[in-house]
Amino acid sequence: MLLVPCPNCGPRNSADLRYGGESHARPDPATASPLQWRGYLYLRDNPAGWLRETWYCRSGCRRWFTLERNTATNEFRDPPQPGDKRGSKA
Amino acid sequence: MADPPIFESPVVRSYETAGSGDLMLTDISATTKWLVRASGSVGAVAARLGAPFGSSSAAAGGALVLGSRPGEWIVLGTADAVAEAVEGLEAVDGADFVSALDWTHGRALFRITGRSAPRMLEKVCSLDWSDPMTPDGAVASASVAKVTCDIARNDAGGTPSYLVFCDRSLGQYLFDALIDAGDEFGLVVGPAGG
Repeated sequence: MLLVPCPNCGPRNSADLRYGGESHARPDPATASPLQWRGYLYLRDNPAGWLRETWYCRSGCRRWFTLERNTATNEFRDPPQPGDKRGSKA
Repeated sequence: MADPPIFESPVVRSYETAGSGDLMLTDISATTKWLVRASGSVGAVAARLGAPFGSSSAAAGGALVLGSRPGEWIVLGTADAVAEAVEGLEAVDGADFVSALDWTHGRALFRITGRSAPRMLEKVCSLDWSDPMTPDGAVASASVAKVTCDIARNDAGGTPSYLVFCDRSLGQYLFDALIDAGDEFGLVVGPAGG
């Protein structure tokens, strides 16, 4: 079982959350080229190591948040604290 | 002005149970329930309602206020008590936007009471319902039998008691699932109330 540290609810079973994928900075719509949009929408780094990703706490606080997870070991580091707006979509 | 709609419980089918009565499940969906949401700086609303996220408190008029999510509260009790608790919330200084919505007909509400209630809940929910983790007054949202629920511990005379809210459309399913989970603990179904 993967325990995900939700900043509001504390450690939760990953089945209670929704995985939102890699967290990328959204390019500026006014200046982004089609190639940049394509990269933002479809391309992923998929590293075997530390990755910043988004999660949605669907059974708990219903908030989006970002975390850094090591995809090789499933270890989390520097989890956000309550009220932290890093990567928040809500 | 039109008469308020007559409440119909989402639980239309109950069962004869042969338990010892140490654990009781009661459908109290008819209880008046309001949802309060605030955005921006929600501290002023939290201070007015007296229940930070993850905890509950009794309002002056007798309503129970649950801090169910960040910037979100559930207020329940008699119609008059709830009306008193939510009155004037929209005018609280500090928050950008506050809304209060009557949720009575939209949510099912069950009460589970008994010494073995924590063990019963732990069969269908991934949270730790032991006393140190969730003492009387604790509020959490979690999956119960695969249904997203708000759960509040609200002990009755020293006996562990839990309020479980879910969407009305899933009320009958959750009621059936809780009866199934409580069977081994001698669960009985109490008279519906509110």
